Amino acid sequence: MILIIAQKPATRLFLLALVVLSFQTTIFNTMRPFGVCLQVMLLLATSSGLARGSEVGAIAGFAIGMMYDLVLSSPLGLGAVVFAIVGYIAGTANAFVHEPTWWTRMLLGGMSSGLGMLLMPVALTIVGREGVMSRQIIVVALVVGLTNAAVTVPATSLCRFVLTEPSKAGL
Amino acid sequence: MGGLSRQRVIAILALTSILLITMDLRDSFPVSGLRRLFGVIFQPVEGATRVITTPINNIWHGMTDYGDVSKENKRLKDLIARQEGATIANIAGVREAQELLALNGLPTLAGIDSCTGQVVGQSPSNFSQTVEINQGRRCGIRVGMPVLNAAGLIGKVTESLDDRAVVMLITDPAYSLSVKIVNQPPPVVTVPVLGPESAQTTTTTSTTSTTTTTIAPKNTISGFTPGVTVATIPSTSQINPSPDDASVGDIRPGQGNDSQITVPPGANLPLRETGALEGRGILRTPIVRFIENQPRFGSVYVGSPIVSSGGATSLAPPDIVVGTVSRIISRTGTLGPLLEVKVAANLDSLNFVRVLLYQPSTERPGAP
Repeated sequence: MILIIAQKPATRLFLLALVVLSFQTTIFNTMRPFGVCLQVMLLLATSSGLARGSEVGAIAGFAIGMMYDLVLSSPLGLGAVVFAIVGYIAGTANAFVHEPTWWTRMLLGGMSSGLGMLLMPVALTIVGREGVMSRQIIVVALVVGLTNAAVTVPATSLCRFVLTEPSKAGL
Repeated sequence: MGGLSRQRVIAILALTSILLITMDLRDSFPVSGLRRLFGVIFQPVEGATRVITTPINNIWHGMTDYGDVSKENKRLKDLIARQEGATIANIAGVREAQELLALNGLPTLAGIDSCTGQVVGQSPSNFSQTVEINQGRRCGIRVGMPVLNAAGLIGKVTESLDDRAVVMLITDPAYSLSVKIVNQPPPVVTVPVLGPESAQTTTTTSTTSTTTTTIAPKNTISGFTPGVTVATIPSTSQINPSPDDASVGDIRPGQGNDSQITVPPGANLPLRETGALEGRGILRTPIVRFIENQPRFGSVYVGSPIVSSGGATSLAPPDIVVGTVSRIISRTGTLGPLLEVKVAANLDSLNFVRVLLYQPSTERPGAP
């Protein structure tokens, strides 16, 4: 019974996101290159879209963002909607690429992540948070985009494994 | 995940998000319960990851922060050496101030219980300034309580779980606090005639001559000398003091004859004005606005101390040190100046913090 539940993509995604979230709140929270907190949860959302397409990317991004919201002080659901958009955009953009290669995935992963970092302050401003729209968000988007691009390929492979039904993967 | 059409999936996600955001912004109980439940599940995972990643974390800090830590260490050693002397004098001053407040039935920080915690993490977001401490509801910590460290106020509790609490820093754009600016008058150099223990200054006018005895001030609070009585004595007994009258100016209770007990002149006391402190986000100092442009208050000076103002609806009790004025931005009309604040506490390197178990009335359950 437990094995059956554990083999479901949703369960595996939850467990993976839980582990990644723990890295996000510990090591990536203190390692801040250029004063920017790296966003591995956002990387997970973009990689989900790149691995399994826009629809799955949106749903996975929503779930990942929701988990991230639960440890943040921002309104619950705000990160979820931003991450869902990012997952959807990554999946849609990847579908337009004729023959996706490792470098196109890196490019799309980086761009989607950067876009997510630009969307987040906009969403926060919409719900009434002031002072988040500053020039610093450009630096944040650039740093997060570049670092996420660097690890998009292995993250996409991981997400493809997690989000694939065992029967389809031949397990 | 493939039973619904794409449009329906997107519509469901969007509606769910709107619903959740609305519920959270209205402090819905299910949302806070969900956060608490997730915190319970997530805490062991996070703890294990923290243990595993600590060596990597240390290597990173060793590579990137060694130079800064070395410089900071030297600077702090110098600072400690300078402040040791001042601390001793200030302890006496604070004690006297607390006694004076207690004597007058006024609230002091010494009468408020507190809970000491350690900062275990900061917000993993780039858009909010919060830290997490390792104390929570079990210690009595509730939402809204002010948090300070040895230097001064650092923020307020925004979320409290059993063993953890989230503290919003005063630099967060959502933070606002009523504060007082103590307008220190520009320093005036006076040269009193000081004896070994006391100073006598004789002032002669056309009609009277008085002798005022003061004890040399032992603290740095302008216009306030603890434990000192300023006595004014008529000229007849002072111009030619008799040999028996050895205690000139030393007026004892019951021997006051015509003497008057007075208080230090009000003009010498620091003036105070209230304003609202607001955080402005990362890399920007908080500001104080709504300062009234009162002629009596005069000009604000850079370096003037800023403390919490207290009051029934304030987020913090009175007289918690917040920082000093670092820059004054003048504005025309009746808007009053904007003051940039140099926060007393170093928010980049918080370690041990103290949560005052003081819950403002606005943060209590059922408050309007």
